[in-house]
Amino acid sequence: MQEHLEKELLQAGATVVGFALLKGALSQEIAHLEYAVSIGVDRNLNEATLRLLRALQKKAAITLRKGGHRYLCIPPDSDRISNTFVSKLYPLFTHKVAATSAGIGWIGRNGLLISPHYGPRLSLATVLTDAPLEVGIPVEASRCGKCGLCVEFCPSGAITGKEWSRYDPFVELIRLEKCSSHKKHVRAVNGKPSCGLCINICPYGRQDNKKKQLEALVIAG
Amino acid sequence: MVTEEKKKELLEKLKNAVIQYDEDTAKEGAQEALDIGMNPNEAIFNGLVSGMEEVGRLFEAQEYFVPELLMCADALYAGLDILRPHVQQLDLGVRGSVVIGTVEGDVHDIGKNIVKMMFDVAGFKVYDLGRDVPLDKFVEEQMKTESDLVCLSAMMTTTMSGMKKVIADLRAKNPKVKIMIGGAPVSQDVADKFGADGYAKDANNALKDAINMISSLKKLKEEAEAGKK
Repeated sequence: MQEHLEKELLQAGATVVGFALLKGALSQEIAHLEYAVSIGVDRNLNEATLRLLRALQKKAAITLRKGGHRYLCIPPDSDRISNTFVSKLYPLFTHKVAATSAGIGWIGRNGLLISPHYGPRLSLATVLTDAPLEVGIPVEASRCGKCGLCVEFCPSGAITGKEWSRYDPFVELIRLEKCSSHKKHVRAVNGKPSCGLCINICPYGRQDNKKKQLEALVIAG
Repeated sequence: MVTEEKKKELLEKLKNAVIQYDEDTAKEGAQEALDIGMNPNEAIFNGLVSGMEEVGRLFEAQEYFVPELLMCADALYAGLDILRPHVQQLDLGVRGSVVIGTVEGDVHDIGKNIVKMMFDVAGFKVYDLGRDVPLDKFVEEQMKTESDLVCLSAMMTTTMSGMKKVIADLRAKNPKVKIMIGGAPVSQDVADKFGADGYAKDANNALKDAINMISSLKKLKEEAEAGKK
């Protein structure tokens, strides 16, 4: 079933699919659904990305249901309809835990999931289940190495520069206050809430054209 | 004309949709029920609600946990939203209106929402104040809506004590109103001490108690009216 599930999701447009065992990492309410299907899609942060992630989750859910398993879909962070009953449980879970446990990547200095191939350019969704899946090898520590481009380029100085590891998950990577106040400022100036320099600058998975764009941005001040 | 067989099949479909927390099938089944001209009341009570009863049983047997329960509730609402506009009158013998909310300082509203759902299904008019509701607001809303019933929920021992004040205030303003309380730290003992009329251990009991309470209220009213004559 698992092979079929993975193939199905990739064919339907998933960029990466990973499987994880989250024993001990889940809050009590959802602890019986200890396996996770982590789904990553190329980050465009538009309506189409969210629709795709939702559709992929539904596909995974249907396959799991057919196999007689339980599941709980945790939708992408930017697409949480809050008027449903189950939405109260979403804050109990972060997608990055499933993704790092599935071996998709690590948490970078910028606080985002970094995949070796796609960098921080993935949007994530997770389906928790009780189906015993064959799971990937968890990533234990950051592979950012000496790179500190995101620290350097962060316009609000929000990135502390510390390194993530699975054994010390509570280290402060981002000063959230600074990051969000900067985003608020940007929104006030040009109407767009996003900043995203720490995504664009990350050398993992960066394409050349993006590099040029960034250089242009830097020169423009 | 609706054949018995088709009807049975559809009710089973609605029931299973709720049990298997399948929103899409719940919507589909509800629409089909309307299309073939089935009585929407029947679709709600013998389909969706009987599914929820089974879910309640599974929950009690610890087969289902909180996430499943919530997803089942979402599936039930998906079907209910389609059927409800076509319901003329829910025939439960009693009807009433209820003010419900989680008391000040408390943001835990999962249980409250499930109780609210049971009232919704049973055809009560529900005034949901939400969570972290200032204590005065309950009294205000009850006066405004002239509701028969006020339900208070608290999940923490620290916020539970707020219920006592609400109950006292409600009684002072309107001695006839019935009050129910619920939540993890609440027990029959607490309900007695605070002067509430009822205590609901879970959503199913809350509904049953609520129906009992309202019918007793109506009876009192009728007796009083009969006495005048």
